[in-house]
Amino acid sequence: MNTISMRDIFFDAVYSEAKKDRNIIIISADMGAPALDKFRRDLKKQFINVGIAEENMVTVASGLALAGKKVFIYAIMPFVTSRCYEMIKVDLSLMNLPVTVVGVGAGFSYDDSGPTHHSTEDMAIMRTLPNMTVLSPSDIFMTARFAKMACGMAGPSYVRLDREVLPTIYDKDDDFSSGLSRLKSGKDLMIISTGNMVHIALDAAKKLSMHSIACGVIDLYKVKPINSALLLKNIAGIKRVVTLEEHLISGGLGSAIAEVLADNNRMVPLKRLAVPDKYYYAYGGRKNIQTLCRLDAKSVTKEVLDWLGEERKT
Amino acid sequence: MTQADLKKKARGIRNMVLDMCVAAGTGHVTSSFSSVEILVSLYHGGILRYDASNPGWEGRDRFILSKGQASPLLYAVLADVGFFPREKLNRFCKADGIFGVHLQNDVPGVEISSGSLGHGLGIAAGLALAAKMDKKSYETIALLGDGECHEGSIWESAMFIGHHRLDNLVAIVDRNRYCVTGCTEDIVSLEPLGKKWESFGWEAATIDGHSFDEIFHTLGAIRSRRGKRPLVVIANTVKGKGVSFMENKYHWHGLAPKGREAKTAKAELTARMEEP
Repeated sequence: MNTISMRDIFFDAVYSEAKKDRNIIIISADMGAPALDKFRRDLKKQFINVGIAEENMVTVASGLALAGKKVFIYAIMPFVTSRCYEMIKVDLSLMNLPVTVVGVGAGFSYDDSGPTHHSTEDMAIMRTLPNMTVLSPSDIFMTARFAKMACGMAGPSYVRLDREVLPTIYDKDDDFSSGLSRLKSGKDLMIISTGNMVHIALDAAKKLSMHSIACGVIDLYKVKPINSALLLKNIAGIKRVVTLEEHLISGGLGSAIAEVLADNNRMVPLKRLAVPDKYYYAYGGRKNIQTLCRLDAKSVTKEVLDWLGEERKT
Repeated sequence: MTQADLKKKARGIRNMVLDMCVAAGTGHVTSSFSSVEILVSLYHGGILRYDASNPGWEGRDRFILSKGQASPLLYAVLADVGFFPREKLNRFCKADGIFGVHLQNDVPGVEISSGSLGHGLGIAAGLALAAKMDKKSYETIALLGDGECHEGSIWESAMFIGHHRLDNLVAIVDRNRYCVTGCTEDIVSLEPLGKKWESFGWEAATIDGHSFDEIFHTLGAIRSRRGKRPLVVIANTVKGKGVSFMENKYHWHGLAPKGREAKTAKAELTARMEEP
């Protein structure tokens, strides 16, 4: 069973690259991690702590990148995205600089910390930025690969890391260059998901199979740019599509998929399962919040069955 | 260049800026005019190292125009020192032009895109820090607006630069005392501005931003500042300097004169060309 967090494997991978390339810099907004302790100790000159000042973190990163550095900036997700969004727009996206925004705490990862720490808007705002690559890993092997990929990118990128230690899905040497993986086939229905919710999608697909529904699962880990051609190929002949994400209903993965379908004249019935248009002060763990949002595997299964039932009636 | 030459150059640059903005019908004329002597000192007066025939030269000093609304001024200066043909200035804000109201970094000689305020000082910090990391000898100079100092991000960056003692960085605040809708002191007071910077770990100097004497006295030897605290220069200036009816009139912010006013402005600047 996996015990490694996405954050630690990510920074471990950056550490390995940074040992070989002194132009790789990490900036933290007063956030720590065991893997960062090593970085701070061994690669002192490549580590900067700007304090709790995310706007300055972005502008400093931009200046470093202009001077030829490859920079990673790191904080809890809402603070490194929406808090300093306009800095990201002007200083990273507009100037197209190689800075990787590393957010930890996708969706309700910081469960008991409440909506200030929940990240349920980030995909919407980050994927709308030109030049930006948006990566949303679903396990640690993919995360490690993304760290390496990010080191070689010429433009800005955003990596959406979960805080929870998730089971693995992939193998260490799997290739993630295509932007998405079909994890399961099924002709009745395809669930397209990302990040932690891929695990719930797999669970729901299993539950649906008990209702004789052949449900497939796609892990869409590159949210921008979406490999539309491959996505459309993977849903060819599928009767219905469901999107599943721990992100607000507006602007995230579901919206992105709806855009791909509409823009390609693919009029397949689509159901978007996401966080309803509200904030959640709810305690007792992430699973509890997911249940309230109807994003746990049982609720997802029920939502899909209800939807199919409605479809059959009409 | 002698001081007389620099003065003449400053007058010429004001004429160029006015012509650009009048022809375009837009542009921040008054924000540009307050910084003219500063930019002429930097680019014509030999303070900055650059190579107009090789804008990306590694050894160049990095000039960060954080008050990106003064783009017509920087463009005029860059054209004048040879980064691109002067004819490009006639196409300011035109469909076939290469630049507009706010600064863009794909123009030869321009380091950053700006126009949104509160960004340039942090970017300058990153550049200065990279120079330290790589043991490079370039200087980084950021020109800020005083109204821009209302932005909280300026003070995040000021704190960071003070903490890291970036002695290879100089910030110049164009203290023309006016932002968009009035005087800074009536809107949200900035004073004591120099003391604020000092308390953030900087050395502060206050000068007359239109006096070449004072500019060179303060900025002439920036390369010999190693080991000192980062330097901020509060340059007291006049917004709209050079055209009597625009000076210290905040409602001219972001506007170019038209019709009769454009002619009067041009006549004033032209007449001043003959001054000693």
